[in-house]
Amino acid sequence: MSENKKWYSLDLGLNKKKGSSGSCGCGKTEGGCNSHKEELSAEEFYEAAINASIGEERHKDGFEQVFDVKMDRRTAFKKLTASLLIGAGAVSTSCSLTTSGDAKEKAQIDWEEQFKGNYKLMTDDEKKKTVDRLMRSYELRTGKNISMTAENAAEDVLFGYAFNISKCQGYMDCVSACVEENNQDRNSEMQYIRIHEMKDGEGFKFDKADDNYYHEVPQEGHFYMGTQCFHCDDPPCVDVCPVQATWKEEDGLVVIDYDWCIGCRYCMAACPYDGRRFNWSKPEVPENEVNKNQHYLGNRMRKKGVMEKCTFCVQRTRKGKNPACVEACPTGARIFGNLLDPNSSIRWVLENKKVFRLKEDLGTEPKFWYFMD
Amino acid sequence: MKNKNLTYYALLFLIIVLSSCKNEGEYHSVSDRIKAEEKPYHGTLTSEELLAGRDLIKITEGEHTFLIPERKSQIKSFACIECHSKPLSQMKGTDKAKAHWDITINHANIETMDCATCHNGEDMNNLKSLTGRNIDFNLSYKLCAQCHTTQFEDWKGGAHGKKISGWTPPRASMTCVECHNPHDPGFKQRWPAQFNTKKAIERNEGLDH
Repeated sequence: MSENKKWYSLDLGLNKKKGSSGSCGCGKTEGGCNSHKEELSAEEFYEAAINASIGEERHKDGFEQVFDVKMDRRTAFKKLTASLLIGAGAVSTSCSLTTSGDAKEKAQIDWEEQFKGNYKLMTDDEKKKTVDRLMRSYELRTGKNISMTAENAAEDVLFGYAFNISKCQGYMDCVSACVEENNQDRNSEMQYIRIHEMKDGEGFKFDKADDNYYHEVPQEGHFYMGTQCFHCDDPPCVDVCPVQATWKEEDGLVVIDYDWCIGCRYCMAACPYDGRRFNWSKPEVPENEVNKNQHYLGNRMRKKGVMEKCTFCVQRTRKGKNPACVEACPTGARIFGNLLDPNSSIRWVLENKKVFRLKEDLGTEPKFWYFMD
Repeated sequence: MKNKNLTYYALLFLIIVLSSCKNEGEYHSVSDRIKAEEKPYHGTLTSEELLAGRDLIKITEGEHTFLIPERKSQIKSFACIECHSKPLSQMKGTDKAKAHWDITINHANIETMDCATCHNGEDMNNLKSLTGRNIDFNLSYKLCAQCHTTQFEDWKGGAHGKKISGWTPPRASMTCVECHNPHDPGFKQRWPAQFNTKKAIERNEGLDH
């Protein structure tokens, strides 16, 4: 794979495989193999075994893993069919004299969107182009305008969150605000935030807690605490994604490229906090309730079969605002801020209150702390 | 023999130390990263836009300096002396006594607090501290801080209460009375806001408003 080829290249097995690269059997690229003893250590054996089975694939980025593989013609054509269908549609509409300009433009947009690269690898210019296409596409489909941005992480910012368990009263204004802000599917009643109602004196028992209550709150003898995506600093969901459709941004947000996600739900299984959600059906939001201030990595409309989750409202926080849940909370139980700024409220909480995180021993390093008055 | 063993241990130790070193930009924990990269934020993002058009006052309490909303213009019947032209003792028995009929005090108990604990009968335009000093209505948090000291500490630091600004500087915090009715400060039991469930029913019944 040459350096400047950024996206993908189809290898139909016509090119003979060239001699193996400079790396030696032990998987090291630097230092001679001579320094090693004859028998392999457990770790070296593990490395060698992986190299033998999947080899190069480990070092490839998502798109290459899928497209830069050797395959016979039959498989290659099979795999191409889906894209060809779109292509055929695009060609038939764009070559036809009877279709309108709008339809042609729509087909052109669909074509370009289908073959765009992973957002993580895009230049700012490419990000802007895809965002413009998505806005235009929405306009063509619905006749309404949305504003979508692709702001990058700001410098010297690391987002963190604190949740005051003694303040939360279980009003769920945060849940409601989150659903509205993030255009979550109304049919499946998707919620990024769960508020758990727990019995006093029993501690954190998530299996016994009720996160779907509908009675007056706060209930006598109960306390409330919320969970959502904790934006781990060492996120297991990112490690397991086979196509690198989810990653950690510079400001600490763990985000998803909805157009890159293949819906395998590995990340959902890997998350120890139940922070991820899957779209089993096409998400639907009534047109008049759609939040039109969107971010590519945030609340833009998702499609069927992709993952989504809390993004700390990237569309708001990268403009300097607080996430919608923080703003909506009537009790002030939610604190959000810049962990790198020693003058921020979140830092004051971390340094002056007794804080803890969930399942700290897993080493996922969540950037979401709980505290009490 | 012992020496040889020791050498092996030393070697093993060295290998562990060297192999556990992380690359630059990688940290063992998020607190390590915070410690290494911390820096007061003076970036391009600010809350100025959010705060535009709001009447704010800058206060300094201890080592914290931040903004709070101006209060007097929000009080419906301010200034108080428009009605309270005479000291309270002389106004008793007149029909004006029923002016504040809608206020019932549900704050501590009558042995601890009554109207005069906070309001100054001689000077209705100001609040009054426990020692009888005047407190401006704009700085009513000082009144609350007399008893609620731990909450006051948390509020100063930003752990108690809500912000008007976003996460970006300048910080603007709501004061006590934005969330707590001073005459009845406790939060009440109520139904949770369940956006989806309620909305779905409303939509099915055509009650969308």
